[in-house]
Amino acid sequence: MEFNGDVLTIDSSMSMEEIMEFENFIRPRLEYIEMIEVVEEGALKCSALLSLLSSLKRTKSDLAIPFLDKRAVSSPEYGTIHWICHD
Amino acid sequence: MTKQEQVKAIFIEEAGEIIEKLDIDIIRFEENSGDFNLLNEIFRGVHTLKGNANAFGFTRLGEFVHHFEDVLDHYRSTKEGIEGDHLELFVGSVDVIKEVMVCELDAIEFLPESYGECLQNIKNLIAMKKGYSPVEELKQSIEISSNDLASEFGFGCDEEFESSVKNCVKHFQEMQEEGLYLYKIDLMLEEDCYKRGFDHLLFLKALGEKAKAIESFFDMKDVWVLDGFTSDVNAIKRVSIVVLTPLPSDDVHEIFEFLFENEYKIQIIETMKKSVEPLYPQDTSHGEKKTLVEKSAPSAETTSSSLVSSKSTIRIDTFKLDELFDSVGELVIAQNFIAQNEKIGEIEDESISRTIETLSKITKRIQDRVMSLRMVAIKDTFEKMKRVVRDTSKKTGKEVHLIIQGEDTEIDKTMIDSLSDPLIHIIRNAIDHGLEADANERALAGKSSNGSVTLKAFHKSGSIVISVSDDGRGINKERVFQKAIERGIINGDENLSDSQIFSLIMQPGFSTAEAISDLSGRGVGLDVVKTSIENLRGKIEIDSKEGTGTTFSMILPLTLAIIDGMLVQASGEIYIIPTLSVVESFRPEEEIVHTVQGKGEFVNLRGQNIPIIRLSDIFELSSQRIEPWEGILVCVETEAGRIAIMVDELVGRQQVVIKTLGKSLARLKEISGGAILGNGDIALILNVDELRPLDESVHV
Repeated sequence: MEFNGDVLTIDSSMSMEEIMEFENFIRPRLEYIEMIEVVEEGALKCSALLSLLSSLKRTKSDLAIPFLDKRAVSSPEYGTIHWICHD
Repeated sequence: MTKQEQVKAIFIEEAGEIIEKLDIDIIRFEENSGDFNLLNEIFRGVHTLKGNANAFGFTRLGEFVHHFEDVLDHYRSTKEGIEGDHLELFVGSVDVIKEVMVCELDAIEFLPESYGECLQNIKNLIAMKKGYSPVEELKQSIEISSNDLASEFGFGCDEEFESSVKNCVKHFQEMQEEGLYLYKIDLMLEEDCYKRGFDHLLFLKALGEKAKAIESFFDMKDVWVLDGFTSDVNAIKRVSIVVLTPLPSDDVHEIFEFLFENEYKIQIIETMKKSVEPLYPQDTSHGEKKTLVEKSAPSAETTSSSLVSSKSTIRIDTFKLDELFDSVGELVIAQNFIAQNEKIGEIEDESISRTIETLSKITKRIQDRVMSLRMVAIKDTFEKMKRVVRDTSKKTGKEVHLIIQGEDTEIDKTMIDSLSDPLIHIIRNAIDHGLEADANERALAGKSSNGSVTLKAFHKSGSIVISVSDDGRGINKERVFQKAIERGIINGDENLSDSQIFSLIMQPGFSTAEAISDLSGRGVGLDVVKTSIENLRGKIEIDSKEGTGTTFSMILPLTLAIIDGMLVQASGEIYIIPTLSVVESFRPEEEIVHTVQGKGEFVNLRGQNIPIIRLSDIFELSSQRIEPWEGILVCVETEAGRIAIMVDELVGRQQVVIKTLGKSLARLKEISGGAILGNGDIALILNVDELRPLDESVHV
C-alpha cells in the first residue's frame, strides 16, 4: 500500500489482514483521497477487497477507482469475475 | 420412497422444526426486542425456510417468507428500534407462516384470510422503511417482472445481473461439447463466511482448476457505505458462477460440502438441444417462465441441500430408535433370565458369578443410555407456552406473568409431542377461568394486579410431574359439587374427597363457566385433556384453595416403553398393575367386607365403599374361591373411581418393558400389554380403567 499525494495504491492480491489494515487506514482519510489505484500483479486473494472498494465508492462517489470501473477482472485461476455495482 | 420424496420429507421435517423454533424465538424477541442476536437467529431461520420452500415449489410460503425476511433484514442491518405494532406484525407473520405451511403440505388451494393482509402490512412496512410508498413498491415489483421472490435463487429482480448471467449461460451452452457439464451455481455466503475460513474466490479457484470456461458475477448491491461496513463481514450476498467443466455433479457438490445448505445452490444446465422441462411442475404456476432449465445432475440431488453436513449431531428415524429400544428390551430380558436362572445360580464358580454381574451392569448401562436417546428437555414445549400465555392474556385482557421452572427436565420424546395440547388447554383455562376477572377483583383479594401462572416440571418418585399453577380465585368446591349433581354426574350422596370433587370438572360435559368463551369453558376440553394424559399412562391431579389458586399436576411415567409395575399373582398367574395407579394394598378385616345384592362385593375403606374386583372372575380363571380377607386387595385409582383388585399375593415391584399383544389378545380390553419377566414367563399388564364398567358411577 502506497500513499502518494491524493493517490493511494494497493495490490489486488491483498490478504484479509491487509484489507483490514487498508480499511482502518482509509477510514479517517477518505476525504483527502482522490484516487485508488489497484496494481494487478497477482490474482485477487479475497472477495472482501471488492466489497471494500465498492463501499468506498458508495461512500464517496467522486472517488476514482479505475479498477472498479472496469467491472471485470480475469485470471487463469478464477476465469472472469464480473461485479455489478448497481450505481 | 424416491430420492426426491426423501429429500422432501426431510424438508418438511426441518421446516416444521424451523417454524416451531420461530414461534418460540419471536415471543422471546417480543420480550426483548433489543436482542439483535436473537433477531439474527430468527432471520436465519426464515432465510433457510425461504430457500427450502422455493426449492420444493411451495411458492406461496416462499413469497411470504421472502418479504418477511426483507423486513427482518432491515431491522437486523440497521439495528433500528422496533415499534410495538411492528412486533405484533412479526408475531402475526409467524402465525401466517404456520398456516401457509399447512396449506402447502395439504395442497389446499385457498390461503388463510390473514395471508393477504399480513403480507401487505409487511410490504407496507418495508416500503416505509426504504422510503418509498407501497404503491411505488408495488409498481417496482411489477416492473421487475413478477417473480421477485426468486431473486436469490437465480431468477429475479435485477435485470442487469440476470441478463449478464443468462448471456453467459447461453454463450457457454454454445461452447458445450460431449463430456462437459454446464453448471450455474449460486453462492449466498453468510456474513460470517470469512471468519469460517470461506471466500467466494476459494470456490472459484476450486472450480477453475478443471474448468474449460468459468465466469462469475458478484452482486454488490448489498454493500453498504463505509459507516455500516466492515471488511471481514461478507457483504456480497449473491454470486452466480457459470462453469463449463468435465466434473460430474458429485464432484461439484463436494467442493461446497462444508458450506451451510442455504449458502449455495447448484443447477446443471441442459444443453440447448435437449427438451425443456421444469424440474418442479409447481414452479410453472408462479408466473414467470424460466429460461434456464434446472435438471438433476447425473448422480446427485437437484438442490443445494448437501444432506450430510459436518455437524456433531445426526438425525435418526425414531422408528430405528424404537427398534433399538426393543432390542435392548430383549437384552434386558435375556440378562434377567440368566441372572435368575436357577440352574446357572447353582453353579458355584466365582468367575461365572462375576461375569454375570458384569453383564448385568453393562446391560443396565446400555439400557440407561438407549433410554436417554429418547429423552429430550421439556424446555421447547414450555417456551411454546409463552405464546399461549401471551395470546390468552391479550384476548382476556388480563395481565399475566408466566413463571417457568424445571425446563431442563427430560421427558420421552413421544410424550413431549402429545403434551402440548393438554398444556395449552390447561394454561388457557387457568388464565380464562382461574385468574380473577380484572385487577380490581385481584386488589380486593389483596393480590397484585398481575396474575401469575407457573409452569413447572420435576421428577417425583420415578415419575415426571408437570404442573400448571395459577394464583387466581381457586375452585369453588361446593359449586362444583352442586353442578355435578345438576349434570347427573354424581347422585349427591357420595362421600368424596376434595381431590375427587375437583376431578369432577374433568368429567365430560362439565363446565362451571358463566359464559363460554373461544378460549375455554366449552366443557369438553378438560375431559379431552384427561384422556390425553391417561393415554400417556399418566394421570391428572387437581389441588385448589379458594382465593389462593389452583394447581393442575400431570403425573407421567418416565417413558412409554417401560412401565413401573406391581407384580401380583392370582390363581397361579402373574399380572402387572401399573404402579402409578396403585393407591395402597392391604389384607382386609372380615368386618369391612360386605356384599350388596346385585352389585357385588365391597370393602369399606375409611368410610368409602370400594368395589372388589376378582381377577379370577374377570379372566375366568379356575381356582378355589377364597374370601377377600384371605387374599390381598390392591386399591387402584381408575377413571370411574377407586376399585380394589383382589389377588392371591403380591410378588414384587419391577420395571418391565411393554410388549404389544397379538391380535387375539388385543381384543381383551382389560389388558393393555404384556411383558416378559426375568424367568422368561409372560405377564399381562392390567388396564385398570377397564376392570369396571365406566357407567357404574355409584362409587365415584
